[in-house]
Amino acid sequence: MTETPILKLTNISKTFPGVKALDSVSFEVMPGEVHALLGENGAGKSTLIKIVSGVYRPNTGEIAIDGEPVQFSTTRDAQEKGIATIYQEFSLYPELSVAENIFIGHAPQRELGPFKMIDWRKMRQSARELLASLDIHDMNVSQNVRALSVGNRQRVEIAKALSLNARLLIMDEPTAALTESDVAKLFEIVEQLRKRGVAIIYISHRLSEVFEICDRVSVLRDGEYIGTQYVKDTNEDELVSMMVKRAVDNRFPKLPSDPGKNVLEVRGLSHEPLTRDVSFTLRAGEIVGFAGLVGSGRSELAHLLFGIRKPHSGSILIDGHPIKFRHPGQAIREGIAYVPEDRGTQGLVKEMTIKENVSLSILRTITRFQFIQSSEEKKLAQNAIQQLGIRAYSVQQIVEQLSGGNQQKVVVSRWLASDPKILIVDEPTRGVDVGAKAEIHRLLSKLAVERGLAIMMISSELPEIIGMSDRVYVMRGGQIVDEVEGDEVEQERIAASMMGDRMNSALVG
Amino acid sequence: MTDTVNSNVTVEPYTNSLFSQLKRTLLRQEMLLVVFIIFFGLILANQNDRFLSSRNVERELVLLFEVALIAIPMTFIIITGGIDLSVGSIFGLSAVVLGFAWQDWGFSMWGAIAAALLAGTACGFFNGFFIVQFRIPPLIMTLATLALFRGIALGISQGRSARGFPDWYFEIGRGDLMGLPNQVWILGFMLFLFGIVLTFTPFGRSLYAIGNNEVASRFAGLPVRKNKLLIYMFSGFMCGLAAVVFVSRVSTTRSDMGVGMELDVIAAVVLGGTSIFGGSGTLSGTILGLLLIRVLTSGLLLSGFKGDATIIMIGTILIASILINDIIQRRLMKS
Amino acid sequence: MLTSIVATPIKMGGRILDQLNQEWILAFVLVAISAVVTLMNPRFLSEQNVSDVLTNSSYLAVAAIGAAIVILAGHIDISVGSLIGLLATLSGQLALGAAEGNYPLWLAFILPIFAGMLVGAVNGFLVAYLRIPSIVVTLGMLSILKGGLILWTSGEWIYNLPDSYQFAQESIFGIRVPIYFMFGIMLITGFWLRYTNSGRAVYAVGGNKQAAKLTGISERNVVMSVFVINGALVGIASLIYATQFNAIQSTAPAGLELLIISGAVIGGVSILGGSGTVIGAVLGTILLRTIDSAMIFAQVPQYWLMAVQGVLILVTVSLDIMRRNRQLQL
Repeated sequence: MTETPILKLTNISKTFPGVKALDSVSFEVMPGEVHALLGENGAGKSTLIKIVSGVYRPNTGEIAIDGEPVQFSTTRDAQEKGIATIYQEFSLYPELSVAENIFIGHAPQRELGPFKMIDWRKMRQSARELLASLDIHDMNVSQNVRALSVGNRQRVEIAKALSLNARLLIMDEPTAALTESDVAKLFEIVEQLRKRGVAIIYISHRLSEVFEICDRVSVLRDGEYIGTQYVKDTNEDELVSMMVKRAVDNRFPKLPSDPGKNVLEVRGLSHEPLTRDVSFTLRAGEIVGFAGLVGSGRSELAHLLFGIRKPHSGSILIDGHPIKFRHPGQAIREGIAYVPEDRGTQGLVKEMTIKENVSLSILRTITRFQFIQSSEEKKLAQNAIQQLGIRAYSVQQIVEQLSGGNQQKVVVSRWLASDPKILIVDEPTRGVDVGAKAEIHRLLSKLAVERGLAIMMISSELPEIIGMSDRVYVMRGGQIVDEVEGDEVEQERIAASMMGDRMNSALVG
Repeated sequence: MTDTVNSNVTVEPYTNSLFSQLKRTLLRQEMLLVVFIIFFGLILANQNDRFLSSRNVERELVLLFEVALIAIPMTFIIITGGIDLSVGSIFGLSAVVLGFAWQDWGFSMWGAIAAALLAGTACGFFNGFFIVQFRIPPLIMTLATLALFRGIALGISQGRSARGFPDWYFEIGRGDLMGLPNQVWILGFMLFLFGIVLTFTPFGRSLYAIGNNEVASRFAGLPVRKNKLLIYMFSGFMCGLAAVVFVSRVSTTRSDMGVGMELDVIAAVVLGGTSIFGGSGTLSGTILGLLLIRVLTSGLLLSGFKGDATIIMIGTILIASILINDIIQRRLMKS
Repeated sequence: MLTSIVATPIKMGGRILDQLNQEWILAFVLVAISAVVTLMNPRFLSEQNVSDVLTNSSYLAVAAIGAAIVILAGHIDISVGSLIGLLATLSGQLALGAAEGNYPLWLAFILPIFAGMLVGAVNGFLVAYLRIPSIVVTLGMLSILKGGLILWTSGEWIYNLPDSYQFAQESIFGIRVPIYFMFGIMLITGFWLRYTNSGRAVYAVGGNKQAAKLTGISERNVVMSVFVINGALVGIASLIYATQFNAIQSTAPAGLELLIISGAVIGGVSILGGSGTVIGAVLGTILLRTIDSAMIFAQVPQYWLMAVQGVLILVTVSLDIMRRNRQLQL
């Protein structure tokens, strides 16, 4: 039975300066099907859905809705064709009611003499009906969204999409922030939607969910379309293999290490719900990789170790002494350095120069009698430029003008200048070109082996984790679910732990 | 999230040619201000022989002392991306505390002065505490305290004024040292001291960082909350100090002192090149901005404008400087 | 159709009352204060005093409605006090000119409203199109208007206004005219804000700018409109103010803008934008005037009024922000 796909993408490519995000991807979705889209971070999923929802325009390729080619100039065009997207950050109005949020911009109206006015009663009724059609009967539509739980807010978003007559709903990581009962409820809603003939593109890393509610699954890898399978015809291992199987090249300059004593010991650290009972150790001279999906709690763990947030329970020991951090300044003094995940908002002060950024955390050390020693600051920055091979014209250059790789090097050099014992790097080579990537890797390796730093490397790029780490911890849902060493360190094992249900029972109580 | 594609932004050549260096210097707001000050100053000097006389210049400096003093912490605050609308009210309240501590509450004169300084600092602390701890936007907090502090001043003074201060006290505001009025010395010292703090110390550096990117500053380990609290306290303190000197010059305290002062202070800071959005600015710019406003005001007064009407000009300057600021910043970014 | 016109307001009334929380609190406080003060001095609740308080609140309330609309959209206008002074003088001068037969009297009523809208348009342009923060624009405008007024009046008050001009001193069915304006405008603007898409767009822009853009709402248009509407309302307020007494002062009373904004904020209009009602703004203003009157009757020195105002603003704002900060996950 050949039906017309509600959405058909043919040879879609999208290039951004320096990066080919999508390379000739073809993909189709049938009406009424729940179609999973799988792939690692950076595989191109988010670019793909942005093209479908009209945020980006493809460089090449064709989009067809119900068999007819379309071109979207704005997101409104896509909306009018019945495409709705629910992102992880909801776009709701907290101070307005549920009903109004659903119908904002297209509220039902009625007439009062010569005037047209919003019919609140009808709006509330319609809202209730819409929610009822999703089998939601217990929401007070007059309540402000502000008071709703995450699960309920999501339901409002779905109802909103329906109110716009969405026929294709794209859900980006819908279960990432939900409780178990919310997830169950979501699946019921998905069933209802399916019955109404609404197609769903379901993006999730949780393979168990894919097997539970999806009809088909398509896999992207490194911007390329790998294939589509019926869910009933495949299994977890095969999907994981499709997502990560690539030639593992040995371009990582990882030197063999000889780890020393325990520098950092973490016991039972918790800050619900993003960090749950985490315990691990870090030794001098080793690089320990932390693998996991976005939202698995790795950055949150790092924030707890760096004093950005305070743990609710558990302990942190440095060189055997228990420490409580109240403030990043304290962590820095104890010898911990954290190169943050998002260098733009968390790492750099973009309008400042290289030397100002490099010295920012350790101003104390280049200050005499309350004066910043300009010559020392300059020297510090020049060392950094040399040591890391930062491509810039002078230490006075504004970092905003640098390329991503060089910007990252500036951040790294700031933290190196603080002479830490423990270095936490969070996505150290994200958005960095190949050459700079290799340089950063070389540097990290040298730091561990030659200077004896204990390095905690958080990364979503499996090749990087495998190429650089002596040991790997895998995190999922705020917990450490697996620890691998030596031979076991390979892509499929790690990916399976990241996404699947597998738990290393030795680690999780 | 996964679509960061910053990796190949082309790096602009950092030309070192003399021409572009010159262009950079001239485009700087401060140079423009100096040019305008000289320009208008000369016009006025032409029309009025006594304009550039040392007596007149000194008089002008004395008159702008209070606004100048308060503009120092205001510069700090605006650099961090905040604002303090309550300075006029803190000034008024400090003056009232000074007067009534001496006249009615039995304080010694020194005690009254200390009380005024303490009151100002306490007001600043109150502002800073709510802003830092409860994360109330500075705009709203200081708008509320503009009313609250003024209200307290009104309540304490009940419409009366205080007078009868000891003679030595008047020396502060009316005396001079080595030929220059005390105000000039105090202002000069403060400008020098805090100019150095702003430009050369870690504290000063942190203010620019906070104004540009507060999150990154926190991640870099800078004491963001502490420093923010300090600058609001600094503002309160300077309002108190300004009040002490002001009262000694006009020899009385009234509850409506300082009304509208925030306008003059903020206009000077913004005209001086400090971006209202935070992250840049200098004290030298602020004082130049103030001088230019003063020169223009004098010019208007000499042409026969009534004193109070000069605020039209200040209001226009405020809006215009932000526009110009914006344009200049965008030009600089391009070059 | 006739029945629906009659039935609707009644049902609307019921629904509206469901939504009001801060407004109920205000009403309660109002009643409480009145009760307490009346015990001390029964003349507080006399017809004369109630009428006076409501009448004195009227022009402030109309301006507070305008302020509320601007705040709902996420901005602020602190130039309203000076604008009232200027427009009142404009109106008065026109009235004097009309009395001499140069032109009809209604110009003295219409022109100030248009002038107000013009000033509002300038403010709106600077904020919406040139992206200058509204606090700075209106701070600058405040001084331009204030200075302008000083230049114009040179300190002289306007007297000898024609009787036919001073409508604020009239009464209809025993109730002073300004009170009709206050409640009438409240109803009209309230209807607009609640029952029209354009009104709801104000809440959208103030509540979540990005989401509003995604919904296709033009932020620029909305911001421009709220400033122009505010200008018109300030114009009306200035007419009430100008005709209330037998003279028009040469400068607007000090602290007027603060009083107006306080009325809105205490009335539950969140300073962060996106929530609040004009009913609240009116109630907040009436509450402030009641406190003022109460202080007189209770023989509390009036000098503490501004401090009370400041405390009320601070408490209202703190509670609002603390409540919002707690739900930062959206």
